[in-house]
Amino acid sequence: MSGLGAALLNSLDIGLLLFVIAVGLNIVFGVLNVINFAHGALYMLGAYLAFTLMNLLGLSFIVALIVAPLAVAVIAVLIDRLVLRFIYERDVADSLLLTFALLLIINESVRMIWGSGIHTVQPPELLRGSVGIFGDTLYPVYSLFVIVVGLVLVAALWFIFNRTRAGKIMRAAALDRDMAEALCINTKLVVTGVFAFGAWLAALGGVVAAPMRAVDPGMGDKIIIESFIVVVIGGLGSFPGALAGAMVLGLIHGLGGRYLPEINLLLPFVGMALVLLFKPNGLMGKGANA
Amino acid sequence: MTKFKPGKLFTSLAAATLLSAGAIQVHADEHPIKLGAIYILSGSAATYGQFAQRGIDLAISEINEDGGVLGRDLELVIEDSQGKAAVAIQAARKLAYEDQVDVLMGLDSSGVAQGLVPTIPELQKPLIITHAATPDVTGKLCNAFTFRISTNVAQNMNAAAEIAAESDANRWTTIGPDYAFGHQSWEFFGNALKDIKPDVELMDDTAFPRFGAEDFTPFINGVMDSEAEGVLISLWGGDLVNFVRQATNLGFFEKDLELMFTVGAATEVLTALEDRMPEGVWLATRYWYDAYDNEINQKFVKAYIDAYGNPPSYNAEGAYAAVYAYKKAMETTGNTDGPALAKTLKGMSFDAPNGNVTFRTGDHQAMVSPNWGLSGPMHPEHNIRTLEDLRVFDAEKVSRTVAETGCTL
Amino acid sequence: MKSAILLGALALTIILLIALPWVVPYFYIFIGTEILIMGLFAASFNLVFGYTGMLSFGHAAFFGIGTYATAMLLLHLQWPLLACLLVSMGVGAVLALVIGFLSVRLNEVYFAMLTLAFGMMVFSIAHMWRSVTNGSDGIAGFTLGAFGLGIDLTLGNPAVYYHVVLAIVIVASLVLYLICRSSFGLTLQAIRQNAERVSFCGLNIRSYRLAAFTISGAFAGLAGGMMAPFLRVASPEMMHWATSAEPVLMSILGGTGYFLGPFVGSALFVLLETWITSVTQAWMLFLGIVLALMVMFFRRGILGTFLDWWLDKK
Repeated sequence: MSGLGAALLNSLDIGLLLFVIAVGLNIVFGVLNVINFAHGALYMLGAYLAFTLMNLLGLSFIVALIVAPLAVAVIAVLIDRLVLRFIYERDVADSLLLTFALLLIINESVRMIWGSGIHTVQPPELLRGSVGIFGDTLYPVYSLFVIVVGLVLVAALWFIFNRTRAGKIMRAAALDRDMAEALCINTKLVVTGVFAFGAWLAALGGVVAAPMRAVDPGMGDKIIIESFIVVVIGGLGSFPGALAGAMVLGLIHGLGGRYLPEINLLLPFVGMALVLLFKPNGLMGKGANA
Repeated sequence: MTKFKPGKLFTSLAAATLLSAGAIQVHADEHPIKLGAIYILSGSAATYGQFAQRGIDLAISEINEDGGVLGRDLELVIEDSQGKAAVAIQAARKLAYEDQVDVLMGLDSSGVAQGLVPTIPELQKPLIITHAATPDVTGKLCNAFTFRISTNVAQNMNAAAEIAAESDANRWTTIGPDYAFGHQSWEFFGNALKDIKPDVELMDDTAFPRFGAEDFTPFINGVMDSEAEGVLISLWGGDLVNFVRQATNLGFFEKDLELMFTVGAATEVLTALEDRMPEGVWLATRYWYDAYDNEINQKFVKAYIDAYGNPPSYNAEGAYAAVYAYKKAMETTGNTDGPALAKTLKGMSFDAPNGNVTFRTGDHQAMVSPNWGLSGPMHPEHNIRTLEDLRVFDAEKVSRTVAETGCTL
Repeated sequence: MKSAILLGALALTIILLIALPWVVPYFYIFIGTEILIMGLFAASFNLVFGYTGMLSFGHAAFFGIGTYATAMLLLHLQWPLLACLLVSMGVGAVLALVIGFLSVRLNEVYFAMLTLAFGMMVFSIAHMWRSVTNGSDGIAGFTLGAFGLGIDLTLGNPAVYYHVVLAIVIVASLVLYLICRSSFGLTLQAIRQNAERVSFCGLNIRSYRLAAFTISGAFAGLAGGMMAPFLRVASPEMMHWATSAEPVLMSILGGTGYFLGPFVGSALFVLLETWITSVTQAWMLFLGIVLALMVMFFRRGILGTFLDWWLDKK
């Protein structure tokens, strides 16, 4: 029983972390109709900046949590203004290709700046070690922290989307861009803002993930596939969908990793294929038919 | 190192003219002798390749300062295998045909070795393997051009089994990377242990996480929940670093388990972990810098620490020794012809930091011993764990016979 | 007049390709073989992308399964190469049919993500199924036996193998070209330009897309099959999305609007990779920058931009 409990908790922290990362992807798609292939690379940048701030500059985790996502958001603004705006009006395929090119560029730049080796980031003093839960199973404190952060973000995002003007504007632009423009909403600003916000979320995920995972140039690639699966299972453009998809994937990893480790790599894809067979739009997605 | 130094040639030519015919050969050919190397230079095991390059660079600069080989300087051309056989095969072709290297060395991955070794005879250049440990390359895949200077899995596991048999752990499992190295380590360990202690139980419930996996938590939990008394851990590189950190968080090292890390004493890993590598666990390495008290080793360790700041890893030592092996082979043969060098290397003995090493005639495997030790207190200067109860084995005893390897040369 | 010049240029290129082993340094025979195989792979991808307008990021799955099929047949059954290649085409087609069925129902964005994810799924299977695929170590140690059809060739000789590949690629490209020029191919292009209209004409665009995807899978499998003896190993990386990216890049580089674009792109890509990687490790960075620039400013590709301009001249 204790094994199951730990596995479930594991699912929760994996799932919530995935949600933080994938929701940015979802939001960007909703408003821009573009899947940002470089989303995982932005997550990785967040982790590397956290590593630099904490390990190389000796700053605290809190500083990293605040500064790194902001820095990545700024980079995202630059990407949007200097590169992406050329092809927003074009075929979706071109945007996909361009974000893919960005992925290659960011990946390699990270490798050139920080080297190919793996780095480790220690959690802050307060969050180290483990606590006993469900009897004598030890569970890392930091993972509990991740769960808390995830839940806070879920609540915060829900509030933003449903209760604030900015949220309403984003949803409006997602539903009908031309109409939003006609209503004098500055969609260029919204577009850049949303892209930056998505990047901010991805980088935040990266900072939070850094003490738990290896910080290496391959981490962006791993997470982008996971994010795609989350988005496909949950449904593109849907906020509750992203949460549902992330939870499902979290369960698959947590339980699958514990009880079916041999085929653990495969389960997310199988899950995705099953969802597609019966619900091609994802569990909660909006129209996706060709 | 990687540059041709014309000034060097000038002085040697001048010296040769003065000393006239006799001891020193003068070559009209000024081209350096090229060593081609293929190691992992990127990804989670990048430090292994980098440390190997350090060993090579050190050897080359020492040899070049001393007049080079056959009057020519040595030069390194190194390629990144990325841990992939296909990449390594194409790199080997490039080194052989485009860069026209004289000899080859390398390989940080058993999987890469299994793919590359069968294609080596076509290139007609000798290959000295300094790291990859799959027994196959000096076993069923052996060929006239492939040699290995480092311990292989069979040797290491025979030694491991001896140590395992001393403990009272009777139920063993493993956590190893899911490729040739992980699986073969477990296979050979199990067979060797059963030979010594027939009533030992080798559990069916084993863990083989993907090489490069980030999350070992489920595997760690799985072992802790099981009834294992001893665990053979063949993870290496970044995996081992991650594993130790995650295992510490989960209290893995507080349980009363007999733990044996088959390549745990790699300085690449020990420097990354520092004091997070726990005390009192068995760690092994192909070469431990503190285990050998001969002149060559003392000189090597000192020169390495002077140049790079930390003690040499086994990959660095293997690569360093391989360069010297090639030097001896070339001087014995008198030229750098591939097939001729391969013939000379067969059965050749030479002095390396870990003693006098011989490439066994029957399978081209160097008769060298792995080093096992219990992790002890932190070294005052080097900031890595020391090894206590250091074991150096008789190479002949821990090696398989040629017949057992399945190599027919 | 212009088409005559183009045909002449093509004929000249083929003659040069045939003469290659006697003209270039030994190492370039390997480069040439790789360019031809990857060119076919890219051309098969372009059937789906340039002609039908679907951006697939998982094409390496079909390529890779072709590599494994040939490798496994050579290792275990020592079949003649032609037979292995036919099987590779078959498995490539079947896999494309399965993945395509699940994917072509959905729009471009979903399609891109799905093909990427399914490609990685195939990669994961190859990685994990140790008992069949030998896991991450891949399948190695197979030798090349006969070619088939009673033709006696020493396939182990790189120059001989190069010519074999050249012959197969020319034949396959011809077939692919005929498909593209047929009414089927024209329908595909119509679907790319305006799918809705085509469906209003009463055609089932889903079937057409699936058919294109399947055919593409077959030719990608063929290319993959030829890769196995060339590389001497079949490994999971051949199914990874990084490999899937290569035909995408090659097609964009060369030009997605012309049949030979992907081949030109393949030559450029492989040559650039060979030269740049010997100078710097940052090949992927360079690739990303080139791709970005091409997409932003030279969307028609090198061959595409040139032909657009030249064919337009009076």
